[in-house]
Amino acid sequence: MSPHEPVPWETPGPLSGPLGVPLVDLLDRLLSTGVVVSGDLVIAIADVPLVRLSLHALLSSVSERMPAPWADGGPL
Amino acid sequence: MTTTQHTAPTVDGTTAGTATYVYAVCRQLAPAGLSALPGLAEGFPVRALRCGTLTAVVQHVPAADFTQEAWEQRLSDRTELERCARAHHEVVVAAAAGGPTAPLALATLYRSDERAREALGQDAARFTAVLDRIAGHAEWGVKVSLPAGSPRPPADPPPDGARRDAPAAPGAGRAYLERKRGLHRAREHRHDQALRTAEDIDAALSRLATAARRLRTHGQELTGTAARRQILNAAYLLPHERAGDLAAEAAAWRARTGAEIELSGPWVPYSFVGEV
Repeated sequence: MSPHEPVPWETPGPLSGPLGVPLVDLLDRLLSTGVVVSGDLVIAIADVPLVRLSLHALLSSVSERMPAPWADGGPL
Repeated sequence: MTTTQHTAPTVDGTTAGTATYVYAVCRQLAPAGLSALPGLAEGFPVRALRCGTLTAVVQHVPAADFTQEAWEQRLSDRTELERCARAHHEVVVAAAAGGPTAPLALATLYRSDERAREALGQDAARFTAVLDRIAGHAEWGVKVSLPAGSPRPPADPPPDGARRDAPAAPGAGRAYLERKRGLHRAREHRHDQALRTAEDIDAALSRLATAARRLRTHGQELTGTAARRQILNAAYLLPHERAGDLAAEAAAWRARTGAEIELSGPWVPYSFVGEV
């Protein structure tokens, strides 16, 4: 099954989705939440640096598409 | 990423060269549909690992591909980042189809199944509390945005410009300052109003929810548009039967405020398993 295949958010049945969600919404949940237990191998990665890294990757791909999104002095 | 052939894991889960990646913890003995998923390491089955009264959903992964350096590289790459996030999510969703499931943070790894069992077992009470809390619930995401609005200064003289009897020719410098001040005031006003709208909507939706949580708002660089400004990004833990109420409340606020309100869900309650 393709991980990119969009699935409507109103899918019937409990907790079946959403699989086709925007990546940024998924990362909001995968990176800053979840049960945090200390693993053996990559302790540092389950923390802030991971969030920063991923956002950087996300942002750089967005800015390739949209060079100048700030028309009015930035967010709020 | 290496392309070497990895030895298949043995039954006791202590194969050299592999680590145990943990996706989630649940109660059901054998969550269905897991083995059909690729997970994060194709060729290694996603499976259930019994930990006392709980079940961890795990997968062996080649240890060499899952070091800290490998993760750093992987998550700096947009394509790989997306692949990992969606693969993790897909497994979590499959496990949750069978009952309450607590997702673990991305990149939780142990040296072996034994180590995972031991470590997760120590947190059994916490997991049990989490699973009790989210049973019968789903998470709903709510994002609210307003039109960014062009900075429109009052077309006519700003309030204090009404003093027509004042000495003539206020001068270009003064007119400029007043225009700047007007712009600034307009922007501050919009900002205050936006914050108030966000608070009101969040308060109303929170009243329907068992728990609520604010996520960081996405700036224009993340939403990809300068035309709208996100003022609220939040998650609500709702009993399944309340989902309709949330949608209705959101629609009412949409009509009342003109804000764009985007609902997403039902999500596995990612945002509500880390606080217990």
